[in-house]
Amino acid sequence: KQPDSGLGIDEEVSVQRRARVPGVKLDEVRLLGPAGIPRLRARAAHDLRLKGKGHEFSDASRLLSFYQLWLDDLFPKANFHDALAMVEKAGHKKLVVAARTEWINEAKPRPREGEE
Amino acid sequence: LDGTADTVHPEVRAHINSLASALGGVSADDDGRYQLGDDALEVLRDIKRWIRFYDEKTNRMDVARCIHEANLVEGDLLPILAQWPENAMDNKFRARIALACIELLVPLTWPMERDKEQMTVNHHRHMPVLELAQVQYKRGIINFDRARILHTAVRAALPSMAIPIGDRTPRDHAIIKLVLFFLRNLAIISPPPSVKYEGDESQVSRSVTIDAFSCQDIFMLLLTLSSNMGDEFRTEDTTVMDIIYHLVKRVDVDKLFMNDEQLNTAKAGELSAMMNKESAMLKAHNRKGPTRHNRFGTMIWVKRDGGKMSSLSGQDVLADAAMRNQKMDSSKTFRPPRRARKEDKDVRDLGPPAKLNARARHQLRSFVEDLLDSGFNPLFQHIRKTIDRKAPHVVQCHRRQFFYLVAWFLQAERVRRKAKKNTGQQNETGVGSFSLVAGVLNQEMFITLDRALHESYDHKDWHELSAVMRCFTQILLTVQEMAECGNEDDEEIAENVLSRLFYEESTHDAVVNIIKTYKHQDFDYLDAATELVHHFLRILEAYAKQNVDMQVRSRKRTRRKKQAAQRAGEDDSLDEEPDDSGNDEANAQRTSKERKFDFHRFCSKFTPQRVVDTFTTFTKYYRDLDDTQLKRAHRYFYRCAFKQDMSVMLFRVDIIHLLYNMVKGPEPLDKSSSMFDEWERLVKHILRRCFKKMEERPELIVEMLFSKLQSTAFYLEYGYERQTMSRS
Repeated sequence: KQPDSGLGIDEEVSVQRRARVPGVKLDEVRLLGPAGIPRLRARAAHDLRLKGKGHEFSDASRLLSFYQLWLDDLFPKANFHDALAMVEKAGHKKLVVAARTEWINEAKPRPREGEE
Repeated sequence: LDGTADTVHPEVRAHINSLASALGGVSADDDGRYQLGDDALEVLRDIKRWIRFYDEKTNRMDVARCIHEANLVEGDLLPILAQWPENAMDNKFRARIALACIELLVPLTWPMERDKEQMTVNHHRHMPVLELAQVQYKRGIINFDRARILHTAVRAALPSMAIPIGDRTPRDHAIIKLVLFFLRNLAIISPPPSVKYEGDESQVSRSVTIDAFSCQDIFMLLLTLSSNMGDEFRTEDTTVMDIIYHLVKRVDVDKLFMNDEQLNTAKAGELSAMMNKESAMLKAHNRKGPTRHNRFGTMIWVKRDGGKMSSLSGQDVLADAAMRNQKMDSSKTFRPPRRARKEDKDVRDLGPPAKLNARARHQLRSFVEDLLDSGFNPLFQHIRKTIDRKAPHVVQCHRRQFFYLVAWFLQAERVRRKAKKNTGQQNETGVGSFSLVAGVLNQEMFITLDRALHESYDHKDWHELSAVMRCFTQILLTVQEMAECGNEDDEEIAENVLSRLFYEESTHDAVVNIIKTYKHQDFDYLDAATELVHHFLRILEAYAKQNVDMQVRSRKRTRRKKQAAQRAGEDDSLDEEPDDSGNDEANAQRTSKERKFDFHRFCSKFTPQRVVDTFTTFTKYYRDLDDTQLKRAHRYFYRCAFKQDMSVMLFRVDIIHLLYNMVKGPEPLDKSSSMFDEWERLVKHILRRCFKKMEERPELIVEMLFSKLQSTAFYLEYGYERQTMSRS
């Protein structure tokens, strides 16, 4: 190795590009994370108040804005429609399917007893 | 153009120019009549040779370009054709000259294909010019003042047509074909959609074409050919169909059969409906709009969960929560990556809807009526046979044209009957029977249709498939009308036809599959598919109600037997390849057995999420749909939610969003239209059921986000697991 000339031209300059920061995605991990469906369920339990019969349209608008605000917290980047499509797509993943069946089973009255 | 920048080889241009000037010219002495050159016939033949051996052999378009620049068509060919007077039919020389002219006109007007694999740099250079040149040719030909050019062309072929088919020489056949191709080319040519046509559109429009065809007796020729199809003419069938197709494509059948008053009221109604729609739109926009100038600078905070705030600007956000949410949404710029749409090369083929003026409408209408009365059955039966035997002159697009035309004419026949009934005109000579269109209602046609349905689906030829679906729909509608017409014979026939149509389970499955696998096809396809499903279900339901014990034929392998055969095969030949005979055996064991048809169960095939998605996609166009289309979507959702009891399928946030927006959103359906009330009621019912379900089953709040599997949906709907049936 030659001695340093003092001008700084002998130092190796790294020309390799840094890898781009991967974009944030609304995938199954995010969806099942704490800000995802668990929060949706928690919020639904105590925030969502529907008036019921006779107020169908106002209830629907309340429900839709409920989902919209939740999605905005979960994934602020995308608008409502796109975010819904992404969530739907993630819903076919194995992890999510498993979680979904579990939630449904939770709510079932009794796991398998002589009903019929 | 100077020589260096010339687009074609200078020698080619020189040759063509010298030929064009040798052909003849306007004489200087007597009143500017066209004077034929001495060797005119030879010159015409030479030009033909240039086209054939330079342009076509080497796949260039230089000669065509030069001919266009030499103004050969309008300057020479048309005047020459005009010189053949009607009373000089037996002038041999004139007839030969005329034929030679047409022989040039046909390749010059031939439709150009943009086939990427064969295009050279010359195509890209010349095609835009030549497309416009063809439009100019068409304008020159059909608006030629001094003579009826089309009629002259037909006269050139008349001697050959007069000969009985057995005695015609190949040359005679070629002449007939040539003239028909000439007519077809003229019918096809229209200003290219990509370029703005600078000339007068009204000189090349569909109306003018129809007018010219009518005045020059071309319609008579077409009628003669189609009613004699099969005995005097055989291979001309597809060309005749081609001509008719390009005349009637995208013509609105309903408007064609209205009389002038009805049409005027219809048009006025359309206009007022459109203006109402616009004013409603503006009103909805203004109500929420700002009341102050745009720099008024309002800014608000929206408090959200967990002490979060989001800020929004503009006074319109003061109005209500829905507006705030919408504003929050619309300010986001991120768009998820999407795959670009494939370029669709066939869209050009169909073109925009045709607008006809009153004169052309009358002419076309009388032609359509005459064709229905005399030529429909022979022509279309013959074409069906031609297609079935895969004759060499059938091209791929002919199948699509065939189904399109059958659908179009069946609809025309139905509309005509209705118009007749409304005016109280009594049928004179048994026109009441459906025998005029019986040629496309026989068993052979259904076999062709069924096969085309499956084949075009398998080959992913969506344009053909949508034509087939429209044809199927029209056949169903015609047969249904037949069953209600009051004539006993017709009713019996209709009954038979329906039973045959609904007998095959494979057809049922095809319909289900088509609607299930919709993805990214164009709107026309979506429209055709939903229309077919709508009418298929409706008519099948009525039919199944009448005939309680309906049987369908299903093809099912009996699995047990097949396994046994396989085991036996393995035992016999351990290391031998199983040859075709084993396959044959398996095929033979495909038993077709009859089983009872249960409409309700069949209907449940239309409840899976993908079918719902297809109809949702269709409904997304609600701003542009007309009343019948809205009704179709309405009936489907109603059937799905309340007749099949699978409303859970509709409980997904985006579907609810769509339904809500149709009624109460920022861009709702037109409130004054008749469908609005029905939709409002339906949406209200669905929403009510949705909220009830959510109370019953809180887990729906999560499931609302996703597509549901059939089993999950069943549990959510009924609260217990489905019992699996052993017999299915």
